Amino acid sequence: MSNNLALRATGITKYFHDPVTMQVLKSINMQVDKGEFVSIVGKSGCGKSTLLYVLSTMDTDYEGTLEINGQKTTGLSQNQLARIRNESIGFVFQFHYLLPDFSCLKNVMIPALRLGKLSYKEAEEAAYEKLKMFGVEEQALKKAGKLSGGQQQRVAIARAIVNNPAIIMGDEPTGNLDSKNTGIVFDLFRQLSQEYKQTIITVTHDNDFAKRSDRIIEMADGEIISQHASGK
Amino acid sequence: MKISVNTEIAITYLSSRKKQTVVAALGVMFGISMFIFMQSLMKGTNDYFEKMSFTSTPHIRLYNETKVADNHMLVSFLKDQSEKILVNPKQLNQSQGITNPYGIIDIIRRNKQVAAVTPQVTGNVIYTSGSVELPGNVAGVQIDEEDKMFDIQSNMVSGNLHDLNRVHNSILIGKGIADKLSLHTGDNITVRSGNGSMLIMRVVGIFSTTIKAVDETKSYANITTVQSLMGKDRSYVTDIKVNVTDYNNAPSVARQIEAITGYKAEDWVKANEQLKAGFKVRAVILNSVIGVILLVAGFGIYNILNMTIYEKIKEIAILKAQGFSGKAVTSIFLQQAVMIGLIGGVVGVTFGFLLTLMVSKIYIGAGTLKYLPMSFYGPHYFQALSFGILTTIAAGFFPARKAAKVDPVTIIRG
Repeated sequence: MSNNLALRATGITKYFHDPVTMQVLKSINMQVDKGEFVSIVGKSGCGKSTLLYVLSTMDTDYEGTLEINGQKTTGLSQNQLARIRNESIGFVFQFHYLLPDFSCLKNVMIPALRLGKLSYKEAEEAAYEKLKMFGVEEQALKKAGKLSGGQQQRVAIARAIVNNPAIIMGDEPTGNLDSKNTGIVFDLFRQLSQEYKQTIITVTHDNDFAKRSDRIIEMADGEIISQHASGK
Repeated sequence: MKISVNTEIAITYLSSRKKQTVVAALGVMFGISMFIFMQSLMKGTNDYFEKMSFTSTPHIRLYNETKVADNHMLVSFLKDQSEKILVNPKQLNQSQGITNPYGIIDIIRRNKQVAAVTPQVTGNVIYTSGSVELPGNVAGVQIDEEDKMFDIQSNMVSGNLHDLNRVHNSILIGKGIADKLSLHTGDNITVRSGNGSMLIMRVVGIFSTTIKAVDETKSYANITTVQSLMGKDRSYVTDIKVNVTDYNNAPSVARQIEAITGYKAEDWVKANEQLKAGFKVRAVILNSVIGVILLVAGFGIYNILNMTIYEKIKEIAILKAQGFSGKAVTSIFLQQAVMIGLIGGVVGVTFGFLLTLMVSKIYIGAGTLKYLPMSFYGPHYFQALSFGILTTIAAGFFPARKAAKVDPVTIIRG
């Protein structure tokens, strides 16, 4: 059973200390199966983004334990976590956060080069293939800053999956896009989930988006109040 | 060549902000070229003054130091426990010369570090021509050896120094003496020694060292001529002059010679302490100027990298989110510092060389100094480059460490 789990969180508790100490996550337990597409929804301030950053291994200031791909990540050093993120987690943020001084292709290649499993040539091919998958191969050699918002977000998703990560995490991946581009990004996630059996965890405000995922986790006041399969 | 992704990012950051990179590199460049220029000037000047000092001073001079009487005779005569005190001790009246000089010269020659040894007799004399009298001193030398050591030939203004060996009772006089006594090569000069004996000598050459005090008093004659002028025998030698293969070893060789012969051996460092003091003072001035320049260049790099990090803080956060470790981020920014250092260093070394070359063509024309003495000394360039790069690494270290500590969560979540 456990080898079919992409992520398991047990008793995740977290406090914010500034300006006053306040509990943002209250002993959260959750599991995500491999290939599952999970949406976390809830009102602003319910702790859903905070939870995502804990799950992402970037935030290490929490209580409880976290396992990714069967490996316990709680208590690992920052350098070990960086390696895990590089290899197993892809990120898509609300804002694309591409490096503006680099071409789109380079932006996608950088995580692959960092991982170092592919040669430069192979990384270039892998990156181009991902761009092509999302229909932005024409923009490959343009500087990231010169693209439209929708194109940038597509490049950002290509970057997130270039290392074929176990999990893609999205923090409001469509929050900054118009409805047309939101539709495109929806479809991309759906495609990744269905065709490529990619595990996806996203935090979203967008109920339409959530409805198209496999499972919806609803949070309020730092707790999971309901989990149910979406009615897709 | 396979370059790492860190290097690639570092290069992209540098090339996407060319102006800042150039400014930072210029700072390093000036530091390094000034380093080279000042070092070359200082070494050139020091070498020049050292060389100048060797035109009048040998590396080691062996002589008989006049001693003050001590109580050792009393101690060996009265073998008892009493304290022996010599009241009002006087200088010992002993020969000024070195006993068995040629035996000692043979011993000194056996030392492998010794390049040349020559005996000398110095005597205080009065030069007379017509009714004019002039005090001075005559050095009785073996002129060929002397020329080898001090390159007297280069100071000759007229006559031939080798005539000293050919012409009986001949003398080389300083230009000052020649002017004051109105003498030319071929004229006769009367030389009177302290003990009253007198010799009429033939002027076979005139030299000019540009040091007035020397030119107005000094003369050279054959050692045997001076020995007979002083009324001494052939074994009378006042100084033995020694040159060693590497003059930096002179002090240690001097100690060895002193130990073997028992005479006072004075090395050139002791004889020219004010020269050495000058070197030291100049080195301090030079090093502080270079230090300040490199410090300023270092602050320039520090500033620019710090600014870059503030501007790129989101990108750093995103790199870390994608799995760049703190180490990798440090390496990205440290590499930028090193690249700035290398660019500035290479340009600086070239510029420093050109500057040195240009300045070495500046005509001075004072005394025997024609052009500014600049030295082209390889290790300076190497030192400059390594100091420059060390400075940039030190300056880049703190901003790079700061970048490594960026917390991606705080930055990305705003």
